[in-house]
Amino acid sequence: MAKAELKTEQKTEIEDSSSLKGTLASVFFLGLFIVITWVSVYMLFVERF
Amino acid sequence: MINSVSAKVKVDPKDAKVSMAHFYVAFIALALGGLMGLLQVLVRSGKFELPLGIGYYEILTTHGVLMGLILTTFFIMGFQYAAVSKTAGTHSNAARRAGWIGFWLMTIGTLMAAAMILTNKASVLYTFYAPLQAHWIFYLGLTLVVVGSWVDGAAQIMTYAKWRKNNPGKPSPLLTFMAVINTVMWIVATLGVASTVLFQLLPWSLGLVDRVDVLVSRTLFWYFGHPLVYFWLLPAYMAWYVVIPKVIGGKIFSDSLARLTFILFLLFSVPVGFHHQLMEPGIDPAWKFIQVILTFMVVIPSLMTAFSLFATFERYGRSKGAKGLFGWFKVLPWNDARFTVPFIGMVAFIPAGAGGIVNASNQMDQVVHNTIWVTGHFHLTVATAVLLTFLGVSYWLVPHLTGRKLTKSMNKLAIIQGWVWFIGMTFMSVAMHLEGLLGGPRRSSFSTYGNSQQALDWIPYQIAQAVGGSILFIGIILFLIIFINLAFFAPKGEEEFPVGEAENLEEKAPLVFENWKLWLGITAVLILFAYTVPFIDIIQNAPIGSKGFKTW
Ligand code: HEM
Ligand SMILES: [Cu+2]
Repeated sequence: MAKAELKTEQKTEIEDSSSLKGTLASVFFLGLFIVITWVSVYMLFVERF
Repeated sequence: MINSVSAKVKVDPKDAKVSMAHFYVAFIALALGGLMGLLQVLVRSGKFELPLGIGYYEILTTHGVLMGLILTTFFIMGFQYAAVSKTAGTHSNAARRAGWIGFWLMTIGTLMAAAMILTNKASVLYTFYAPLQAHWIFYLGLTLVVVGSWVDGAAQIMTYAKWRKNNPGKPSPLLTFMAVINTVMWIVATLGVASTVLFQLLPWSLGLVDRVDVLVSRTLFWYFGHPLVYFWLLPAYMAWYVVIPKVIGGKIFSDSLARLTFILFLLFSVPVGFHHQLMEPGIDPAWKFIQVILTFMVVIPSLMTAFSLFATFERYGRSKGAKGLFGWFKVLPWNDARFTVPFIGMVAFIPAGAGGIVNASNQMDQVVHNTIWVTGHFHLTVATAVLLTFLGVSYWLVPHLTGRKLTKSMNKLAIIQGWVWFIGMTFMSVAMHLEGLLGGPRRSSFSTYGNSQQALDWIPYQIAQAVGGSILFIGIILFLIIFINLAFFAPKGEEEFPVGEAENLEEKAPLVFENWKLWLGITAVLILFAYTVPFIDIIQNAPIGSKGFKTW
């Protein structure tokens, strides 16, 4: 009984080895970085021109 | 990939010689160009003056031509020649002869252009904008470089065509396909620069005509100039998509996605040159805007590339048991220079790409145009992302071609080389970006502009650039030590030419990707759409043209 319980607990922790959630997070970070860079220079542009 | 069957294990020694010849010239250019780069940052710091009355623009022309035109073109042609030989089979004698003829044409052209620059007859910078006028031998030399690269490209296309004939109905080997796309894009692009040199600059510098239409010449230059930067980038992408997965022991995320990316670059690299002329009078703003939109189309294949590289890394990491969102990052083979050096290049491409989006944003270009920000930008793209990938490729390709081995100690030195470049470039490029935002100009020697406060504020950034540039120069010396070792002294042995396999071998690339009539047709339509009307406009409203100037 106790053994079976342990097993189910472990199962929830095992990740699908084909998961690409790190990739998803990475491309989101990349997108965010681009947006931040762009907006910063855009603010300079609005201020100056 | 089906193609690995037909591919030989090693590049044939006769083909290896052709590639190595290209690499010698490329890395001599890197050495001399690097020395000029060092002098530039020292001069711009205000602490050093050039001796013997040497002009700043003479060394800057040398740097731009050697680094931007010679190093890149020679390395790329050598690498692609070897990549085609490895994946589509040894070149025929005719193709190899083309490889040699191309090499010698390019080398003679380089010597002609170099002789003119070094005798101070061509301080026109690597963009050779009219109405600055160089000696005709300079233009003729560059023409030979371009013609030589076409002959070199013909060698690759011949071997590709032979493979297609022998393997009907099959998609060509991925690396060969990519090399051919890049060569075709290069041929389409160089038609522009060849036109301005042959029909405008050569007759004008020979004194056959008196005046030159500056805007036509610059427009033809940038018709070539933007695809030029993709010509540099695509061989790096070849390494990122195909070589790196094999080096780390992973798989190519998707063969078809890689091919589609390259096709999109072929389509959208050329009809976008106006984004380098956004500040230029004489071009209808509506057409500038249209080309800006086309420019933003290349964001798509760029982000496709980022996605599939992340995916390759994550899949590999998880297969090694990595957990969590970013656990895969730690298990990458950081002790392998063949991975780490190009990887630093990939990282540099993130701020490089972000900066590029700023540059291309039409009105926003006013903030950065002709400032040293732009120099900071392309030292991240070509001088880090592309260059470190090329160096990373050399670390296995040179010993592969010379029948030697990358030893443990050389591998270690190569990793140090990569990190030295990273540190030096962080100093130099960040300082250039910031100084640019404060209005500091590019293409200018040291000046305080009559002690104006704004110019004085730039000085600390110029000192930081001198620090970074000196570190970069050390990086070049480290590379040269490794290159000479790998070419002449490393122990004999077998070094692998890593060619990755796709994750899903059942996924056969659609044959439509090899339909050249279709892709060249669309390329032509896009170019005609983007350039015909504005070009007619430019010619119809042309001023009388300009006489030549020698400002140095
Ligand atoms: C030791 C390493 C390097 C240093 C210190 C360096 C430094 C510089 C500096 C300070 C400038 C701008 C000067 C000015 O605008 O007044 C410049 C321009 C340039 N650099 Fe580099 N650079 C290095 C390596 C490279 C590499 C590896 C490449 C290409 C693969 C490259 C390509 C260029 C190009 C194309 C220009 C533009 C020249 C022009 O504006 O006409 N540089 N470099
Ligand atoms: Cu461009």
